[in-house]
Amino acid sequence: MSNINGKVYAMNAITPMKPWKTWILRGFFFLLGHVKPLRQDLVDLSFIEFARWVVLPRKGFPFLGNSQVKENLKYDYLLFFSNFNGTWNQYIDAFSAVLSKGLNLVWRWSEKFPGSVPVTLFKEYIARVQFDTDYYYTAYPHATANDIKSAHIVQSSLDQLAAKAAQCNPQEFADAYLRFMLQVQAHIGETGEAPLAG
Amino acid sequence: MPNRNGSVYGLTILSPIINDEKATPSHDLQIRSYLAKLSTREDSPFAIAPATHLARLAVMDDVIYVGMPACEEHLNSKYLVFESNCDGDLDSYLGGLADAIPEHLDAIWKHCVGYPGAANGQAFIDYMKACQLETTFYFAAVNDKSVSETLRALQAKTAVGDFIANHQGADAATLQREFIQFMAQLKSEPVPKPGSMGPHRTIKTGGRNE
Repeated sequence: MSNINGKVYAMNAITPMKPWKTWILRGFFFLLGHVKPLRQDLVDLSFIEFARWVVLPRKGFPFLGNSQVKENLKYDYLLFFSNFNGTWNQYIDAFSAVLSKGLNLVWRWSEKFPGSVPVTLFKEYIARVQFDTDYYYTAYPHATANDIKSAHIVQSSLDQLAAKAAQCNPQEFADAYLRFMLQVQAHIGETGEAPLAG
Repeated sequence: MPNRNGSVYGLTILSPIINDEKATPSHDLQIRSYLAKLSTREDSPFAIAPATHLARLAVMDDVIYVGMPACEEHLNSKYLVFESNCDGDLDSYLGGLADAIPEHLDAIWKHCVGYPGAANGQAFIDYMKACQLETTFYFAAVNDKSVSETLRALQAKTAVGDFIANHQGADAATLQREFIQFMAQLKSEPVPKPGSMGPHRTIKTGGRNE
């Protein structure tokens, strides 16, 4: 089992849903995908690198013939995969505190979902429906989602400054350099080992 | 298309694992055993093959029963879950895996039903697509940068911090001259290898909630 690599945690969860309810959930995800303000809290949380939900119909499990026995299920299933920074407890606490309405809209269609508030019952539910990762790879294990966003801001500003550097006199460059520092001052610094949660 | 967010592709694959009562150890355990020994650093198969931001492999033993009044039900097969966040289009990504790391793919997926092997690239791609699930909603914090662009930017972020710290109070002419040299040096440095700069893998045994 290897749910953690560097600063990222891999969460997997699977929850059963009555098939007629999955269409409501699909409708909600359609809206979430097309109405940007609905995604703002997810963006603002800023510790999720990638996340996805997959509605898996009861007859949609891959069937390859040969010796495989076809699945015979009553429920559709909701799969959730998240790549987040921080610890499991921090993640669920933040999700519950900031995204409780959104989470309820996603998981209220799943059997026995207790609601995302109060957080204790929510955590018990997530722990029950979670399954562990056996192998977890990230191309940049020392970087968080915020490190990555910052790095691209620095890179973009740096490229602009570099384009000017050889074409202006020293004083003009010094002025441009000062503006560059103001743009990147909140984004510089190196990444390193993940802190230990205490 | 929900599998894609900007230029990033969210690949979700569920491959049924061979259920052979005579196999010892069972095929799912053989997969787990292989994965437990696989590097997650720059010699990881996903670092050697191009275009993977983050990826995971997990054996899903069964669906989960949440208690009454829900019905208890079980899967007929165990499934190997492959979740990847990658650059480019799906065919090139899968083709890149088959070209770069066929021995690892075969060692893992040979325990799955109907796996044709990675030697035949097109058969491998067709197999993976047959096992693919359509993502319903896909979120990416940064969705317009490739793996190498991100590694390069992280490298620049650290270097710029050092440059600024070392040039406080420098006069304008020195600053300009040394900045131009700094940029030339930064551009000449190789992009950090994917998976490098990471901690050596330790197997977590203290529960999932660390």
